[in-house]
Amino acid sequence: MDRDEIMRVLRAFAAAELEYVLIGATAMGFHGLVRATEDVDLFIRASAENVERLRTALRAVYAGDEHINEISSADLLGDYPAVRYYPPTGDLYFDVLTRLGEIADFDNVEAEVKEVDGTQVRVATPAALYRLKKSTVRLQDRADAAALRERFQLEDEE
Amino acid sequence: MPVQKFRSIEEMNRARPLKSEEANFERFLRHCAQWWAIAPKHYPRGVFKFRTIEEAQKAREKHTS
Repeated sequence: MDRDEIMRVLRAFAAAELEYVLIGATAMGFHGLVRATEDVDLFIRASAENVERLRTALRAVYAGDEHINEISSADLLGDYPAVRYYPPTGDLYFDVLTRLGEIADFDNVEAEVKEVDGTQVRVATPAALYRLKKSTVRLQDRADAAALRERFQLEDEE
Repeated sequence: MPVQKFRSIEEMNRARPLKSEEANFERFLRHCAQWWAIAPKHYPRGVFKFRTIEEAQKAREKHTS
């Protein structure tokens, strides 16, 4: 994951006024739990306007990539709430979600604003990340949940 | 560089590193860059869509294996 590239993306998200929240390993990195990843996971608000903002932001960074046009609100607001975009640079990709089953979407993931190089970044809180990860079947998510729980002294709500 | 002292490894593991939020993110980016240098990947191009997160995860495993 190239620093300049990810910063251009985060600045473009801000410039386009994209309503998003980072989740996954990138968000964990902001909280000091550092592990390698190749993707940037984010929830976006599920609206046609916001999907257009996403396309605008990505076009600003990856100018000329026609694949960006394939990211559609019909999909993200319909049967395909998860879209993966591999940009032409080739060393990272984006997992864009509008909802995660019945358990989570942009509106119910608690977030906080971090600042990097003067750019504001919306990041899921440790507790929100823990809730997202603790019930999934993926081993890496379970490991992440355990790390979050220990570092931030989190408790199960049930 | 400040020094942190612990009475046990458990106490050490629980302690937060003395880093700012920005330093955390920089550390994360450096770590990813090192990992990439050791194990570069070859991804397909374009947009892929999934009905569920499980579908997305299966595709990720396929692309990264």
